[in-house]
Amino acid sequence: MPRAVRGVLIECDPSVKAIILKYDEERHDYIVEDLDDDRHLVIKESQLQNLKLRLGKDLDEKLMQPDESESE
Amino acid sequence: MAAAPSRPFDFLEGLPGTVFYKLYQQPSTALAIFRRMLPDLAKCFVMALLYLKDPLPAADLEDWVRPESLRERDNALSILGRLHILTNTTTSNNVRAYMVTNPFAASLRQALMGTEQTQSFGVLSQLGDETAVTISDLDEYAGRQWEGVLGYMVGTSGLGIQRDVNLSKGVKQLLQAGHLVEIRDRRVEITKDGFAFVLQDVGTQVWHILILYVESAEHIRMDSVEVLSFIFLLSSLELGKSYQKKNLTSNQIRTLTDLADFGIVYQESPEATRFYPTRLATTLTSDSSALSNPISGSLTGTDTSSEAGSGFIIVETNYRIYAYTSSPLQISLIALFSTLKYRFPNLITGKITRQSIRRAVEMGITADQIISYISTHAHPQMRKHNIAKTANPQAGVPPSVLPPTVVDQIRLWQLERDRVKATAGFLFKDFVSFAEYEAPCRYAEDIGVLTWKSDRRRMFFVTRHEQVAAFLRSRK
Repeated sequence: MPRAVRGVLIECDPSVKAIILKYDEERHDYIVEDLDDDRHLVIKESQLQNLKLRLGKDLDEKLMQPDESESE
Repeated sequence: MAAAPSRPFDFLEGLPGTVFYKLYQQPSTALAIFRRMLPDLAKCFVMALLYLKDPLPAADLEDWVRPESLRERDNALSILGRLHILTNTTTSNNVRAYMVTNPFAASLRQALMGTEQTQSFGVLSQLGDETAVTISDLDEYAGRQWEGVLGYMVGTSGLGIQRDVNLSKGVKQLLQAGHLVEIRDRRVEITKDGFAFVLQDVGTQVWHILILYVESAEHIRMDSVEVLSFIFLLSSLELGKSYQKKNLTSNQIRTLTDLADFGIVYQESPEATRFYPTRLATTLTSDSSALSNPISGSLTGTDTSSEAGSGFIIVETNYRIYAYTSSPLQISLIALFSTLKYRFPNLITGKITRQSIRRAVEMGITADQIISYISTHAHPQMRKHNIAKTANPQAGVPPSVLPPTVVDQIRLWQLERDRVKATAGFLFKDFVSFAEYEAPCRYAEDIGVLTWKSDRRRMFFVTRHEQVAAFLRSRK
């Protein structure tokens, strides 16, 4: 019997997906369905904002940013 | 040109069926929806069915479309269904059939044949023409009012340079109710939605405002259906003609006064006996994009009498940006996504940087909005120079007004910020067999709601589930 589940489809890099999977391991409160390829998964709608904030913060910390000089 | 899915369409689709029934009583509404909201194929279907007395068997209609265009057919039928124009019925011998719903069919026939005696398309004013307002006056009025509204949102009115535009309280309340601006400590602050709004083209902006107006009409005890059909009426009027007010209802006159504040219609005073639609109104339901040129031309801050639609922004490959403008509105807009360096009487210079784009993206502005804003307003010299240089027929590279490196980099900077693409919707899963999975999946793809599928796991993801669920039920 087919079923329909409400959620948000996330499309992202494999690296970002790995991070989301790691978040979910803590309390299993993000993922509705892991879609088994490198780039897609379905998460709970209520967690979307939270996830974006957390990702933004972590990526800002972890990624190397090229220096940007304001000089001309 | 096929009507693109758009905000007005989404709004209409969300209305209950009874509202459609009332709306379609007016020939002007039926015609406006027919002209603007339907893809070409859907128009063909409607025209073919319009004068049939009996419902047409579904198989016959489906035969009209080549098998390789099934997707277009299903899409057209789905749009017609969602706008309550086409219904499924059965013929006398119980065959599945389509027919055009009634208030719509009758109204559209009336609109096409002009036999009607009602005032659905407005009544021309018979007054003498000695005080007639010219089209260029109307354009200038519309441009000035609209720029005033945008200027208020971006907060330029405080600079005192703006030509005097009096915004009524109603306009300000509407912008607030639509969450385009917020009032904090008596100062106007623009919101994320507001930023996205100001960078859109004028046609989209006008629809956005009108929908907000219709939604708020209920709160001020006006019938939203009446307001909506009046808007469709306005959109079918002719630019440069004046229309009588005496056959309008009191609510419509009230709407008229409110819309005059936005520059959508013009009247000499609220007590005047006639009104003029401006270009903002008459292009609402037509495909003509000519709308944006005269208006945005006047929005560029150049003299309104100068050549319409001329651009003023130059972007160099080193990300420097030069804008020949003294309009506070344009300067505030450019400052949204660049770091300004110098300001001269008729020129500002700045630089597009990673930080400035990130800042803009965080405020909710997308890279595409920025790029389309710059290229719409690109200086004529830039157009000439870059199109000649980048148009390379052998490589098949489309001509681009902006330096490709800058466009790509703006997109990359946004991607850096937006690492995930999220689509809300529904996951269908637990199909027992591949055959059971395949049919609804293909159906979802045909009606254009499928975003992802996996044959191996027999799952697929759609943005809307109602039609797919109905499809599944119908196959049981």
